[in-house]
Amino acid sequence: MRFRRLAVLLVLLWSLLPLLWQLYTSLRTGSALISPQPGLSGWTLDNYRQILSGDPPFWRFLLNSTVVGLASTALTLLLAIPCAYGLQRQPARTRALLSGALLAAAVFPYVLLFLALLELARRFGLANHLLALSLPYAGLTLPLAVLLLGAAFRDLPPELEESALLEGLNTWQRLRWVLLPLIAPASASTGLLVFLFSWNEYPIALTWISRQELLTLPIAIARIAGSSVYTVPYGAFAAATVLGSLPLLALMVIFQKPIVAGLTQGAVK
Amino acid sequence: MSGVQRPQGLVLEGLERRVGSNLVLDGLNLSVAPGECLALLGPSGCGKTTTLRLIAGLDQPSAGRIRLDGDDITRQPPSRREVGMVFQSYALYPHLTVERNLSLGMELRGLPRERIAAQISSVLELLQLEPQRRRRPAELSGGQRQRVALARALVRQPRLFLLDEPMSNLDAQLREDLRAELRLLLCGGPQPVVYVTHDQQEAMGLADRIAVLHQGRLQQIGSPRELYDQPANLFVAGFIGRPRINVLPAEAGCIRAVRPEHLEPLAEGGLPARVLLREWQGASQLLQLETPHGRWRMVCDGRVELAESFGLGWPPARELRFEAGSGRRLH
Repeated sequence: MRFRRLAVLLVLLWSLLPLLWQLYTSLRTGSALISPQPGLSGWTLDNYRQILSGDPPFWRFLLNSTVVGLASTALTLLLAIPCAYGLQRQPARTRALLSGALLAAAVFPYVLLFLALLELARRFGLANHLLALSLPYAGLTLPLAVLLLGAAFRDLPPELEESALLEGLNTWQRLRWVLLPLIAPASASTGLLVFLFSWNEYPIALTWISRQELLTLPIAIARIAGSSVYTVPYGAFAAATVLGSLPLLALMVIFQKPIVAGLTQGAVK
Repeated sequence: MSGVQRPQGLVLEGLERRVGSNLVLDGLNLSVAPGECLALLGPSGCGKTTTLRLIAGLDQPSAGRIRLDGDDITRQPPSRREVGMVFQSYALYPHLTVERNLSLGMELRGLPRERIAAQISSVLELLQLEPQRRRRPAELSGGQRQRVALARALVRQPRLFLLDEPMSNLDAQLREDLRAELRLLLCGGPQPVVYVTHDQQEAMGLADRIAVLHQGRLQQIGSPRELYDQPANLFVAGFIGRPRINVLPAEAGCIRAVRPEHLEPLAEGGLPARVLLREWQGASQLLQLETPHGRWRMVCDGRVELAESFGLGWPPARELRFEAGSGRRLH
């Protein structure tokens, strides 16, 4: 029992220490960070003040990322749910074939695509449009989302839909009133994965967006500069990272229950 | 208007279902009159659930027709057939309350609110589910869930009831209670009822007529009494009646069989038998006997005292005779 507690503590330290270190760094002055002896002095909120008073202020990037994340999530779920439902109704062989193709697409390293995507953006004038970013994001996360939701549909007993069919519900009504509420946990966890991807995505955001006020978080953080070329603004980086993680933390807390339910769904009949 | 009276009830004509090269159902003909309760009885894999799914329209037949009150519904989509079906797993919507489970279909078809409310209230009262009205299926007992499933089929006032082993998930006592309730509720109404079960006792207790299926073929259809007294073949004789019928080895192309309750101990002579096991059941006792023809079963009055070994006899008139090759009953 004691050993188990110790093991849990170790794992927690392992995964939380970097985050705690960021939090610590964000609250220290530059000189306190590099001083050899740790002292009680040198605590400050200046790092936060600095990035929040930048031009544009940091909350602008948070907003940008939130907008792109929500749009990508909505678009992905909107497309993935009907796809997953349709996939489920295919004969076993077609389904296996399509699932294989989706899996291949899901594991493809998307970084290799960013040049082609850049060409597309230029061609269709999508550069420097915040919402346009959600097009490649939804496209890239769609295969995994369809697979995850497909598994959720497959776990539902077929009699549920048959019963609704016999009651005279049409396809849309069966999906809306019977199936969707039952795959809500899976939809929530899938949606969160999409949001996370969009929140963290770097290469496409870097190449599609150049206007300062439209940058998403990862790009904006990378562009934080020190007072001179020779200073690395550790404190400001850390403060930006902390602020950028808070919304994710909030989402996790809100969706914790349905996500865990979604992850274990179908494990026990 | 034609003067010809249209056949009422459900009629299956040469219904066939093939899955790949496998013939799951082989030319089924039968009819169920309005208000009649027909049990489809047979071992698992005999085609009874397939038949039910074909009638509901959940699967398509490879050949044959389904008529309901004279209308050919073979190609009609299931949503328009107006059947009330109770699934083995009940298939209640887990996220909805009892009340919403019953109302969802009617709401989405746009029936007036007052009418839905009235219909639901009367069915909930009929099935004594009023106190559970706002509960979800997970909060109900097995028997209550089964009643909700039944209520959902009843509330729509369908043209036909289909029940797929609705009691297989319940314990024995509940099953017995519900059997009577089900019979009162469904049978004798204006709709035909088709009831699938593998439990011959349930079929005998519930149905007006029983159709015995085996390997996709109809073996016999008739009243429980007919099936018991005049089984069409050896399979039906073995499937109907508990304990199982005793079979003698083939003799000159004829197989003879005797029901356990028709056996009696003889003062002398007869088939030598030794008691292996005695199961005392109160009014009666069930004996497992060792005979030259293998293990036989015998049922007799519970008060009879029997020796360890005795001779077995039976009235010749009680004996059933079957053709050795085909298994058909000889008259």
